[in-house]
Order: sequence, then C-alpha cells, then structure tokens
Amino acid sequence: MNHPVEEGATPAENRLPAEGSGEIPAAKEEVTTYVERLKRLQAEFDNYKKRTLREMTALEERVGDREVCDVLPVFDNLQRALEHLEKDGATPAFVEGVRKVVAQFDQILAQKGVSPLACLGERFDPAFHEALVCVPSDREKDTILEEFERGYLRSGRVLRPSKVKVSRGNPEAKEA
Amino acid sequence: MREKIIGIDLGTTNSCVAVLEGGKPEVIANAEGERVTPSVVAFTAAGERLAGRLAKRQAITNPRHTIASIKRKMGTDYRVRIELDGKVETYTPEQISAMILQKMKKDAEAHLGGKVVKAVITVPAYFNDSQRQATKDAGKIAGLEVMRIINEPTAAALAYGLDKTEDQTILVYDLGGGTFDVSILEIGDGVFHVVATDGDTQLGGDDFDQRIMDWLVEELRRDTGIDLTGDPSAMQRLKDASEAAKMELSSRKETTINLPYLTADATGPKHLERKLTRAKLEQMIDDLLAKSVRIVDAALTAAKKEPKDIDQVVLVGGSTRIPKVQELVAARIPGKINKEINPDEVVAAGAAIQGGILAGEVDEIVLLDVTPLTLSIETLGGIATPLIERNTTVPTEKTKTFSTAEDNQPGVEIHVLQGERKLAADDKSLGKFQLAGIPPAPRGIPQIDVTFSIDADGILHVTAKDKATAKSASITIKDSSRLDEAEIKRMQREAEEHAAEDRRKAEDVETRNRADQLVYQVEKALSDLGEKVPGSQRGEIEDQVRRLKEKLSQNAPADDLRRAMDELSKSSQRLAEEAYRSTATGADPSDQSSTEKRGQDEGYVDAEYDKK
Repeated sequence: MNHPVEEGATPAENRLPAEGSGEIPAAKEEVTTYVERLKRLQAEFDNYKKRTLREMTALEERVGDREVCDVLPVFDNLQRALEHLEKDGATPAFVEGVRKVVAQFDQILAQKGVSPLACLGERFDPAFHEALVCVPSDREKDTILEEFERGYLRSGRVLRPSKVKVSRGNPEAKEA
Repeated sequence: MREKIIGIDLGTTNSCVAVLEGGKPEVIANAEGERVTPSVVAFTAAGERLAGRLAKRQAITNPRHTIASIKRKMGTDYRVRIELDGKVETYTPEQISAMILQKMKKDAEAHLGGKVVKAVITVPAYFNDSQRQATKDAGKIAGLEVMRIINEPTAAALAYGLDKTEDQTILVYDLGGGTFDVSILEIGDGVFHVVATDGDTQLGGDDFDQRIMDWLVEELRRDTGIDLTGDPSAMQRLKDASEAAKMELSSRKETTINLPYLTADATGPKHLERKLTRAKLEQMIDDLLAKSVRIVDAALTAAKKEPKDIDQVVLVGGSTRIPKVQELVAARIPGKINKEINPDEVVAAGAAIQGGILAGEVDEIVLLDVTPLTLSIETLGGIATPLIERNTTVPTEKTKTFSTAEDNQPGVEIHVLQGERKLAADDKSLGKFQLAGIPPAPRGIPQIDVTFSIDADGILHVTAKDKATAKSASITIKDSSRLDEAEIKRMQREAEEHAAEDRRKAEDVETRNRADQLVYQVEKALSDLGEKVPGSQRGEIEDQVRRLKEKLSQNAPADDLRRAMDELSKSSQRLAEEAYRSTATGADPSDQSSTEKRGQDEGYVDAEYDKK
C-alpha cells in the first residue's frame, strides 16, 4: 500500500544513524529490551488466558453451588415441617404428600450432584462438620451426637458443613 | 517471569491476600473458595494444625487449642500453651500468626501456579516497633521475605491512588467485624505520615449482629415465653439470620426474618417471622455509631485538625457498607468520601499495590489506550453497524463480511461512523469511501470484507475488499480517538438518553429491511418455480406481495408491515411445501439450499448500497 507521505516529515535517510556513531549498539540494545518485554508480555498473556479459563470453570461451579445453597434453607424447613407433622398427628394423606415433596426435592438435588453428608455417630472432622455445641457424654470424645442442620457435598466439595453436637467424652471416666 | 510480591492484610478477625495483576490488585480466593480467611489457628488431638475456616469450625470442640485474635497479643510476651498427649509446647504470637500467613502463602501459590516468597504485610497504624518487628518475624517463620510492613490506613489510601495527590489530609475510618480504628494521615511528595490514631478494640459488625439477635430472642420470649438462649441450634440460626438481615438492610429499606420451626414446646412448633426496617436497625445500633463518631472527634483533636481540614475520607471494613455509617461520617466531615473499593479487601489491595511498586511492576505498566466510542459503518436503512465496540483496548483489528442490497449492484459505499447511537445519522461521520467494480450478481451474493484496524497511536485504517475480485479500497482516519473528554462524555450521555428511542427506530428499520428481503425472496421463488405454482395460489401471493410493497413505499408503521409479512410468510411457506411435494424427485438440491441459505443466514449484513 502507498501511504501518502506527510508534509514536513523527516526524510528517511536523515534518520539512519551514521556508522560508528554508537547509535547502532544502542538501537540494538533497545530492540533486545523490547523483544524481551514482548516475550514476557506474551507469556503473561498466555498464562492469563489459561488461568482465566480455569477461573471461569471454578466460577461456574461456585455460582452453581451458591444457587443450591440459597434454596437449601427451604429444604431444611420442609424437613422440619415433615418431622412436626408426623408428631402432631396430621392426616396420613397430608403427611404422605409432604413426604413426596421432600423426596422430589431430594431427587432434584441429586440431579445437581448434591448429596447429603451422613454424620451421626461419625468422628467429628472440621473439613465436613461445624460444631455448635460440645457436651460430656458416654460416647467417645469427638463423636457426633446430634445433627442440627444437614450438611451437603457437591461433586466432592463441601457445599455446606453439617452443624452438629459433639461429645466431649466422659470426664469422670477419664479421671478414674 | 518477574517475581510477584503478594500483599497480605493480617487482620484480627479475618485476613485477606491480594496480588497485582496487569496493574490491578486482584484478591486471591482461598482453598475454600472464600476471599477472606478467618484469622484462627487450631491444634487438633490428632496432631494436625488447622488455619482459617476449618479451625473456626472446630473451635467449640477444642477451645483450649484453638486460637483466635492472636493479633491482639503481637509484640507481647504472651505464650500459647498447647498440651497434647501429655506433652506441653508453647508458641509465641509470632508463631501462631505465621500459621495464618502460611495458609495465605499456600493459597496464593495455588492461585499463581508458582512459589511465592515475597510479601508486604499490613499492621494497624498504632502498632509500635516491637509489634511491627513481631509481624515481620511471623512472616519470616512462615517462609516469607517481608519486603515491607505498611500501615493499614496507608494501604487503603494507596488502593485509592491517593499517593498521587498533592499535599492532602486523609481520614481512614475502619469499622471491621470486631475492631474500630480511625487514622489521620498526611500525604506529601508521595509519602504518608500518620498524624493521629484512635479506636476501640471491641467495636464492630459483630456487635450489630448481637443487637439484632437480642431483639429476636426477646420478641420470641414475649410472644411464647420460650427462652432460646439455651438452644445452640436455634441460636446459630438466629445469628446467621441476623447477619443476613443486617447485610440486606444496606441495600434495602426493609427485610423479613423468617425462621420456620425455630423451636417447639408442648403446644407445638414455634416459628419466628419479623419485619426489620433499616430505621429500626439504625435505632438499635445508634449508641454504637455515636461512639464511633466520638472517636473520630477525638482523633481530630489529637491531630489538631478541624473536620474541614480533611480532604479525603477512606472507608474500610465491611460495616462501612451500612448507609447510616456513611451518612454519619459525611455529616461530620465535608471531605470527599472514598468507598468504591470493596471495604473488606481494600487494605489487601493496597498492600498488593505496594508489592507491585517494590517489584518494579508498576513502573513498567504500559498504559494502553482504549477506543472511547464505538466505531461502525452505515448499513441498509441508515443503521450504524458496530465493528469495534467502545472501550476496546488498542491496537486492535476487526473484520466483518457485508453484502449488497440490490441485484447487480456495482459498488458499495463505506461510511465510517463513531458514536453509541443506533442510527447512522445521529453518530459522528469520520469519512466515506467507495468500493466499485463489483461484478454483477444477485443481492446478498457478493462478499465484502470490511476491516477496521486501529494502531497503537489511535490511527484507524478502514479497508473494504471484494472477496471475488480481491479489489479493495481504503481510508485512513487520523483523529478517531482524539476527541476531547467533554465531547466523549456528551456523546455517551446522548446515547443513554436516547437509548429507548434509538432502539425502536433501529427495530423499525430492521423490520423494513426484513420486509424488503421477504418481497425479494418470494418474487424470486415465484419466478423460479414458474408453472409449478397453481394459478389461484400465485394470484393470492402476488396480491400479498403487492400489498407489502405498497406499505413499504408508503413508509407504513412497523406493526402494519409485520402483519403483512406474517400473511405473506404463511402463504409462501405453503408455496414452498407444495412445490417440494410436486417436485420431490426432480428438484436440484444445490439450488434449493442456496435459496434457503440466503433467506436465513444472518451472518451477512447488507451494506448500504450506492448506485452509480
């Protein structure tokens, strides 16, 4: 392509450094610096792209996790309602209906890769459980005695830890 | 690769780590996916050491071997005694802090995919030399080379770029989860001086949650006589709900706390449902906020300053999201309030910037220009079709393929536009040129590549090239990005103001274009199919085509056009179905597919034609 030459532009030959003027080594060094910087920038950009991809995947997972977490309290309360209905002598048909809704909820969670954490009688592990209270008991120390709120896993990650009551062991037995 | 220096906000309740990436501080999420990490450490019976969220979760089962708020003990001769399996070990506050720092380091390494050795760590402005030295030692124990210890308020000011301002006085109001700090800084020649500090080590967001909880417990007691304080599960639910309500009331005026089946007595399950308004919350925490203002006043007095002497206020800590807090600060101090950066992360962000400066990264950042406004070309019906969106970093190059709008159109005119408006007439015209010599072809067939290329100096080259003949024409526009700030603002504002109206106008034009395209297709189909179309059907369709053409020439409203198009599309579909049925065996498949493709392919945009 022919680019029109701007008026008043320096003629090309005047810009060439004179031989032996020391400008060529300086120019070479400048080129090296720029090439170095370009390479670094390219590498950083390449890494940035890779990391962005990784982060996008992680973000998608987290957004999915958060969505599920937002509806879990509704599920908790539905289960609480079911427990009370059974105790309070609601009509069997009504209890059965609510039980089916709970089962449906469970199924949807399973489809989303969400599974409940079994914890009763297990050994307390802070990677999966959050202790709300710790009481003396005849059970071995650190055994989970009661589940206050169910915990969930999603694709192996802890979505929400189980909120539990933990045994402190029997202090009297220890002293003996 | 240049070595990264991370910035760590080592807090009393929570810690946060950030790093400078591409000139901007990025907060690093921990292994648990959270952007802040609880400053809690634990030693388990199994001999494991835990730091962060996991340590916090097990705190109640292991209170004697769980350490929180160790920051309060930094620089003292306090020792943590850990007794496991009959063996007693003692740890200094530095060693405990180091376990938190080690976790931050590990999480940063996982994020950056390499070893991290160097760090900048922040401390409160009131920390004395031994506390600072202890923090530095904690870093060393964690395997970090502490490049610098900087003040938390200084880091916050750095995050807002206040180091680049002229001599100014800055007040940093830091209301965190459990502590409150006020610092007054002076900046001159890029150096910060702490003039005065004050604070309350037992005032923060947790107190606000507690007030809401107390209220809920009292409400339930009054209604049902039940005392929840002995029920850890219910209390935990109350605590979570109180915090959530507090946070929601920062963006809404009212929220509902709904806790079904919170507890039960002999009469059955008890639910808790209460409305909490922002006004009510403000009333609940009024005395706490008033206290914070008194502390601000005390700091001003200590600095021998008047409120009017403060040029900038920086808000730090999650609780400064509460509108009443911002209101009170603004009422007390007339200076500019900086609150745009996430207040939980602003200190770590500032530490990361300091790290970047020390690493020499900040100097090296080449500031690349962006295109201030969208660059488009005018297409059929006067629509501005964008090629390069505004805010694209230059240098950049984009190509889009266009076609002709008329059969045998000999050339196209490329009209280059700048602006955010949808119609060409409303945008700024940068220049026009012709691409002539397109060989005769039905409309939509020629492919003309239009390339917009902006070099690092902001010079725009536009080239149009006919793919079939390789003929091209181009234009160079020198001042595409040299609009002055005011003009850019004006154009952006106008685009926002006219957005709805412009969209409607553009839709009208697009409807007309589609109507025109439909007329063309149907007429072509009728002539292609010839005798295969029964006379009665042909008559009906020709009538509909004529009506649509009339409407087009009369500039009928878009709704009218759409109705006429619907009718015509329906009958032309029948036309196509019958034609296929009668010629199912004899048709030329390639011909059919090309006809269909032209009608459906949206990848082409008709360029405005210019018949010569």
